[in-house]
Amino acid sequence: MVYNENRSQLECRIMKNILSFLVLGLLPGWLIAQPSENWTEVNLSITDGQVIPRYTAFESSSAGLAAAAQALCQATNAMNLENARKSFHASMDAWQQIQHVQFGPITYFNWNFRLHYWPDEKGTGPRQLDELIAAGNEEVLQSDNFSRESVGVQGFPALERLLFDDESLLAFREDRYRCQAAQTIALNISEIASGVRQRWADKFRTTIANADERGFFESAEDATIDFLKAQVESVRRIQQQKLEEVIGESAARARVRRAESWRSGRSLRNIKLNVMALKSLFNDSESQSIELSEVFQAEDITVINEAFAQLNSALTPLPDSFEAVLMEEQGHEKLLQIAAHLDALFEAFEAGLKNTDLYLGFNSLDGD
Amino acid sequence: MATRPKTTLQMKLDRRQFITLTSGLFSTSVFTVASASSLKTPVFLSAASDGDDNHWVIGFSQSDKASTELFRHSLPGRAHHIAVHEGLGIYLVIARRPGKYLWVGDLESGEPLAEITLPADRHLYGHGVFSADGNYFYAPENAWQMINGDSGRVVVWEVKRADRKTPRFSMTRVKDFPSYGTGPHELLITSDQRTLVLANGGIRTHPERGRKKLNIESMQPSLAYINAISGDLEEQHLLDGQYHKASIRHMDQNQSGLIVVGMQYEGEPFDRVPLLVTHQQGEPLRELWAPEPQQGQMTQYVGSVRFDNSGNYFAASCPRGNMITFWEAKSGDFLRSVRSRDGCGLCAIDNGFLFTAGTGRITYYDVRQDSMTSLDSANSGKVFWDNHLSVFAS
Repeated sequence: MVYNENRSQLECRIMKNILSFLVLGLLPGWLIAQPSENWTEVNLSITDGQVIPRYTAFESSSAGLAAAAQALCQATNAMNLENARKSFHASMDAWQQIQHVQFGPITYFNWNFRLHYWPDEKGTGPRQLDELIAAGNEEVLQSDNFSRESVGVQGFPALERLLFDDESLLAFREDRYRCQAAQTIALNISEIASGVRQRWADKFRTTIANADERGFFESAEDATIDFLKAQVESVRRIQQQKLEEVIGESAARARVRRAESWRSGRSLRNIKLNVMALKSLFNDSESQSIELSEVFQAEDITVINEAFAQLNSALTPLPDSFEAVLMEEQGHEKLLQIAAHLDALFEAFEAGLKNTDLYLGFNSLDGD
Repeated sequence: MATRPKTTLQMKLDRRQFITLTSGLFSTSVFTVASASSLKTPVFLSAASDGDDNHWVIGFSQSDKASTELFRHSLPGRAHHIAVHEGLGIYLVIARRPGKYLWVGDLESGEPLAEITLPADRHLYGHGVFSADGNYFYAPENAWQMINGDSGRVVVWEVKRADRKTPRFSMTRVKDFPSYGTGPHELLITSDQRTLVLANGGIRTHPERGRKKLNIESMQPSLAYINAISGDLEEQHLLDGQYHKASIRHMDQNQSGLIVVGMQYEGEPFDRVPLLVTHQQGEPLRELWAPEPQQGQMTQYVGSVRFDNSGNYFAASCPRGNMITFWEAKSGDFLRSVRSRDGCGLCAIDNGFLFTAGTGRITYYDVRQDSMTSLDSANSGKVFWDNHLSVFAS
């Protein structure tokens, strides 16, 4: 019966609270760490210690990518192609370390989708890129025009397709427009990276600092929730989108071409960088004076740290691509283990959040 | 003068349901915070959940800067909308899809009265409405076994007052109409009680596949006007073909018969599509657009729409965009938006709206003064308010 179940749950909770009170009552006050509720301090510490520095790194590496792509088109040779590929990796490394922040300026002008339209389940991006190159329209590649093109041709997946083909060098030599398209995409990535960094530093930091009922955030706690969503929802997204969609039920049934950045052989590298950045956001950053972990209870921080440690120790030894790990003995099992560790980390966050007054979403997660 | 629907069946019902509801059938109140017997102010009703995945119906009242919980009762599962029958003094909680229960409580005391379960081959969509005379209740259902056609149905329940056989009242399934679409969601009855207005969301689901959407590429939402007596289709409107993935879900109607419709877009997050339309029967749909950046910040999702008491303004909640938007009804002009983390439930009160959020927050907004008051709801404990808010002025 519903009533009896609820009543016994209620009784259990009352008993638990009484026990907690008795146990904690015996401890001196200074031993009981309380979660921080100074939301503005937490928010600004993350903004200054994590977000703006990571966007600055992304801006700088993307400027390098734009320059390398320009050099490649000026002198289309193997060395410049190699440099462009290295710069792609550097820029993608930086992006993967701030990809979890999906609020604020990255959402302006569809920048998030223009930068990285993925997953692309219907193969829209490759089809549109082929059409764009076949048409060879010079005007389309002018900056103002290109920003209005389909998101599928504007960002990393399109550039990766042009740079990481076995025949890339030959194709660039035979079709100058193809190289110009790559150069335009690289410049577009660089401009977006610069725009996001600038808006965080110039205005959005102030928005966070001055959160009030009639502002963009209804309170400072409201802004903290966005950082927590970046933390917790990213764990689930990595598990489901970046991993489970790819690994299948067995090595033979794995679908490596569904993976993010599979052409450049760095799908697992992306996940490693994501996890590293998420751990850093939580409590591992030297430049973050007050950490996001401080909104959790001490015992929950321990559990979350342990879940991060297990995930990291399983991830670190793996190669950068799914193809390489699947060729290893027990490779598929290792990937299943990673998925299980990500699941455990998500559960640890969920359990920890229940011991706070913070709620990440209800209607917005699964509406109707 | 209200037109009374005929009692002839429009189709053969699989099983005729006759459920007699008696007060005192349940005594399962978990706890009653305060007696509601002396209420003089509006009572607000909403479904809610808590962090332990318990589901509740909660009644509360509102004063200047605080809300006071009046009652709270456990539900068999997550609920969606609550319909109010003032004549009989009852409220009816409708299960969220693919739920199968209708749960009835007493408006004055809040106490549970009865629970009705649907036939095995049907489920609800979370919405339902009583006719103004109180003699009928209409609710959309999914007849998912009708796989070769649209599985949306509208079931008419006859509501009878107490007599010697039924200590309080009874509800009987008497008619079963097509909704003329798939995935019907919110419905209205026009003020003359002759016409039902249905939001056919267009999305096919099957209870064995949970809430998975099975036909996004071919979905075809519509706004259907159906004769409440015969079940005949009177008028049906589709969105422009390029917007066929905009699921028509929620509606409200003002005193002049203008209907506002809120949509939820199933296509790409960066597509620019209208998320609201207004409609006057007999005319074409009118698309409404907010200026940028608000249109983009609505994140393709409107969770609830409600007119204010004057009918001159309406609010549209965007829980994914964490904002409530306000519009001028006649012109269709966007007025402004306010931030509300996970805000969704809306109802008209005084000179504006009360809105509830998944965070547990309750806010009053005066649309003319453009002023906001956050209510202290500490005595409710921490609950997530579900998508819809109803009000009953006692």
